[in-house]
Amino acid sequence: MTRRVHGAVEPGSDGFRFVTERPTRPGGVVVPLPKRKLGVDYDTSWARRYPVRLARAMVLDDFSRPVLRVALSPKVIGLEHLDPVQGPMILAANHASHLDTALLVSILPSWLRHRTIVAAAADYFFDRHWKAAFWSFGLGAIPMERSKVNRRSADLATSLIEDGWSLVIFPEGGRTADGWGREFKGGASYLAKRCGVPVIPVHIRGTRPVLAKSSSRFRPGSTEIRLGDPLVLAAGEDARKFAARIEKAVAALADEAESDWWSARRRAAAGTTPPFRGPDVSAWRREWALPESARKDQPPARERASDKPWKRGKSAT
Amino acid sequence: MARHLDEEGVRVKALQFERNMPRFAAARVASALVGSGKGVKIGPLELVELEPFDLPGEGWVRVHPRLAGICGSDLATLDGRSSRYFEPIVSFPFVPGHEVVGDVEGGTLDGKRAVLEPVLGCQARGIDPPCQGCAAGHKGACERIAFGHVRPGLQTGYCRDTGGGWSTGFVAHESQLHEVPTDMSDEAAVMVEPVACAVHAALAAKIAGGERVVVLGAGTLGLCVIAALRALCLPGALVVVAKHPAQRNLARDLGADQVVKPGEHKRAARRLSGSLALESSDGGIERLTGGVDLVIDCVGTSDSLAQCLDIVRPSGRVVLVGMPGVVKLDLAPLWQREIEIRGAYAYGCEERPEGPRSTFEIALQLVRQAHLERLVSARYALENYEDAVAHAASAGRRGAVKIVFDLRKAGSGKDAFGGQEVGGPRVATTTKEAK
Amino acid sequence: MSPRPGFVLEVDRSTPATLMWHGEGFRLEKLPVGTRVVYGPEPIDALKDPDQAIRNALEHPLGDSQPLRTLLFAGMRLTIAFDDISLPLPPMRPPDARQRVIEAVLDLAAEAGVDDVVLIAALALHRRMTDPELRHALGDRVFEAFAPNGLLLQHDAEDPSNLVHLGLTDQGEDVEINRRAAESDLLVYVNINLVPMDGGHKSVATGLASYKSLKHHHNVRTLMNSRSLMDEHHSELRNSNWRMGRLIAASGVKIFQIETTLNTKTFPEQLGFLQKREWEWSVRDRASFLAASSALARTPVGLSRKIFHSVQAPHDITSVQTGEVEAVHRSTLDNIYRQQSVAVSGQTDVLTMGLPYICPYNVNSTMNPILVACLGLGYFFNLYRGKPLVREGGVLIMSHPTPWEFNPVHHPSYIDFFEQVLAETTDMFEIEAKYEESFATDPWYVHLYRTSYAYHGVHPLYMWYWCAHAMAHLGRVIIVGGDRAAVRRMGFSPASTLNDALELAEDVVGRDPTITHLHAPPLLLADVT
Repeated sequence: MTRRVHGAVEPGSDGFRFVTERPTRPGGVVVPLPKRKLGVDYDTSWARRYPVRLARAMVLDDFSRPVLRVALSPKVIGLEHLDPVQGPMILAANHASHLDTALLVSILPSWLRHRTIVAAAADYFFDRHWKAAFWSFGLGAIPMERSKVNRRSADLATSLIEDGWSLVIFPEGGRTADGWGREFKGGASYLAKRCGVPVIPVHIRGTRPVLAKSSSRFRPGSTEIRLGDPLVLAAGEDARKFAARIEKAVAALADEAESDWWSARRRAAAGTTPPFRGPDVSAWRREWALPESARKDQPPARERASDKPWKRGKSAT
Repeated sequence: MARHLDEEGVRVKALQFERNMPRFAAARVASALVGSGKGVKIGPLELVELEPFDLPGEGWVRVHPRLAGICGSDLATLDGRSSRYFEPIVSFPFVPGHEVVGDVEGGTLDGKRAVLEPVLGCQARGIDPPCQGCAAGHKGACERIAFGHVRPGLQTGYCRDTGGGWSTGFVAHESQLHEVPTDMSDEAAVMVEPVACAVHAALAAKIAGGERVVVLGAGTLGLCVIAALRALCLPGALVVVAKHPAQRNLARDLGADQVVKPGEHKRAARRLSGSLALESSDGGIERLTGGVDLVIDCVGTSDSLAQCLDIVRPSGRVVLVGMPGVVKLDLAPLWQREIEIRGAYAYGCEERPEGPRSTFEIALQLVRQAHLERLVSARYALENYEDAVAHAASAGRRGAVKIVFDLRKAGSGKDAFGGQEVGGPRVATTTKEAK
Repeated sequence: MSPRPGFVLEVDRSTPATLMWHGEGFRLEKLPVGTRVVYGPEPIDALKDPDQAIRNALEHPLGDSQPLRTLLFAGMRLTIAFDDISLPLPPMRPPDARQRVIEAVLDLAAEAGVDDVVLIAALALHRRMTDPELRHALGDRVFEAFAPNGLLLQHDAEDPSNLVHLGLTDQGEDVEINRRAAESDLLVYVNINLVPMDGGHKSVATGLASYKSLKHHHNVRTLMNSRSLMDEHHSELRNSNWRMGRLIAASGVKIFQIETTLNTKTFPEQLGFLQKREWEWSVRDRASFLAASSALARTPVGLSRKIFHSVQAPHDITSVQTGEVEAVHRSTLDNIYRQQSVAVSGQTDVLTMGLPYICPYNVNSTMNPILVACLGLGYFFNLYRGKPLVREGGVLIMSHPTPWEFNPVHHPSYIDFFEQVLAETTDMFEIEAKYEESFATDPWYVHLYRTSYAYHGVHPLYMWYWCAHAMAHLGRVIIVGGDRAAVRRMGFSPASTLNDALELAEDVVGRDPTITHLHAPPLLLADVT
């Protein structure tokens, strides 16, 4: 027989609330700050465990690849440059659209694409828990600081590359705003130097008209991905010079994409490749000089409107 | 001038309003379903014959109405729409009718015509010393209206002991009677009471001069307010919102600068005040950020009150003249824009530059000056009260303004129109007027 | 087969019913025997290669001017102004004429290395253009190069810091225009000429002007003395603009004018019957007409309005001229007359016309009653040289639903004007004296004009003044099929059918009146002798 003591606190009547509500904290107690690891500190190792990799591979192969093939009709040139590379590599590409990463990964051969991690901007892709989880899973992303090399992410990237993972990275640090390229930063070349792996320059053409920066309009179109000769650091070459060399290589691929391989080769040899960062003139003239494949809006404006206005649907207002 | 004497034993014919809840409710439902004024037949109003009223005390006299008007507050009562606030200050059964001109029997005005000031203040109730309000001459602000040796009743026309205008005889205290000049017609005299309300409201608005004023509603009260504003104050611009064409024309005649239809009030107020506005989703005006200085509401519904708050400027003033009921209103604009709403009820004594004057005195002058007898649109016999009330309820739509009961007998003297009706369309009257 | 000129048909018993516009719809009306129907010329042949023609014109300007190429140099301030959305009507199929011209000009500017270029939509007091409308007029390439960098501007006539007063003409008229345009090294104006009233000095003197300038010719007196607005020799509006334009040129503003003319191919093939003569309708045309009218009868008004406003006209460019303003405009006018001129002999008692759904001031918007009046009495009535088609004291009958409807975003001041001003008076002189200032200076209208897509506060009054000549000339104006209250508000007479309208007309002009019917659009210009 239990003796009930009157005056005690009886949680039984409101048991649900008793369990679910946190007790109030007395004054004078030091409260430790909650630890939430986001951004560069986010731990992505769970996404490289076998079951998760398997799931990712299935999504990539059975869903993403077919969808991207239909939406972007990619044409791939230069896959043979990947064959002679033994072991992991760094793929350095130009960046115009959010679609670039998925597209690039999807066109790689299977032995490479299932062993690839992607460097993604820590402040954009890893600022919320659900975003960090989504991109870690979907693309195998690891957080990377945009401008300077953060010690933690550099160490992580290095250890992963040494483990045999290939890295996809966009040395520009972000998508192009006006259609011309931005200066290649030192991240890719630094890692290449530290790990001793080759860098494959990649040029992606045609993703900007499909989904440009600061635009939510998606217009299916055709794209081309060109892979170039692997670049290896020369003895004693410093990272910055190497970064410039990678940029030149991507510029040459861009030139080839707009004209043809032979003219591009000759210009590369003569040093007259059109600059990756565009002409140094006023903003409207830079826009005026953009090639069609880098314009925000799909050409041409010369489409003839329908003769049946009632089928057109949207008015001009 | 013939006299009407109720000899001892001659009964008084009157319309009486009884306290009969089922019929009250039925009238309310009918008015909601079918329209205002249509519930009269089934409501608690009955044509009866009564014993003449006893004189409640010293200073009381008998009055025999000549013309008695139907007011908006009467219509609200008949429809069951008036606020329950009034219940403790009326006494059932009562004879309605507080806009009255009649022949006086007894007392100092014996044999003369007088217009009634219906408020039952301390003096009428025999309360001495009078309360603060009555002492200052503001009988409408009487603090003793349910006391004294007369039953509760804020006015003659809501009190069981006094009777009211819709009858052939009632009683009134001498302090309530104002002599009608001999050259003034009955129609002009019956307009004095509503004009007094309007005068009091116009002066309560405290117009300093040059304000931009909007008057909502151009029924009897609205039109009288326009006339009062023009005569007594100096508004800068006067815009009137009027629904019906006849009202619009009269409003213009009486001195409105601009007359607009009900849906246009926001745009008119915006242009008048040069204010900017916040737009609604379809591009129209949601509300003004500025507004006019003064809005006078002569309609008295939730909608009209909301409209007032829409167009008055921050720190502006809204004066409620028409009797409102229970309304649902969002007071956030009132608070945020520091708007003042004040009620204007009845009349009393007004502070004028020339000194204090009684509102009725000012009203008498104004009726004459602005020829407001033209607002009386139709006259009905007491027996045709259903038609009369229906006409009054749809007056605006039918091109009429004020509807009155005509209680004169043949050969009864001054009549403005010589037997012809002015203003309203077909009028049912059975009194035979001699020229 | 070469395009046939316009002509005047005399209706007889074998004439089939005539097409008459009625807002967002049309119907066939049997006109009384003896009615003259004025048909415009068929669309003339277009330029085979417009882009080449434009480039040619830029190299070979008219009048006292050098080729554009030589006028461009690195480091200069270049401003390109262009006509706004009121032209052309209906809006053109892409590529718009302005797009072609501006791309050609910018190609030259890029070659010359000009960095400081600004584009300005010459709105005067019209509403600002939305982004899709700018894209339509300029093309994606130009829009993307200039809009994101803030170099695509819309003239703001109420921005005192962006206006410069250039002086007074010899008649005391203020000339105040857009500052950026006036202070540039070169101002290129890209114009589309639809009617003879447009273009020439009016492009800059009106399109880039402020209210202070405009009120000198947008007033009742000037418009009453413009007989007609389309006649260069008798238009007081044109004379005033010419004085202002010459002052602008004299004060050092260097203008390179580029004018284009279009043919009258107004409707796409599906609606081609709207352009053809009724007795020449093929089986297909008749079937299309039947399908279209029965579909429209079942379509709610909002949807049919949307459908009509999405119609794009297959206009072709028929000429391009560049260089000095007056020389260019002379050539432009010749080209317009070539396309639109019809010889008509004599006037009649009655003039009838069907009004379409669109006028320069309601593109992508509602045609409110004031715009109906302006289109009929201001524009269509003025499509003449010599004498009006109807005699003095005659009657004008227009057909339009005239809905009492206003677009509150585009035409906010119109609502107030219609509700408050026209309720008091319809007399133009009284309106000008009593109300113009308050409408022109009301801060709310100014705010909407500058930040939203609203016509300037004074614009509805200008629309009303536009009818000045017609209202002074005519004995009565009747609107068939219009909203009765709206029609009456404007002081016109409503009628339910054309026959009723003709009967009403007989009260004024007598029995058996002579009638002319104006079969437009497509546009024409009647040379009445």
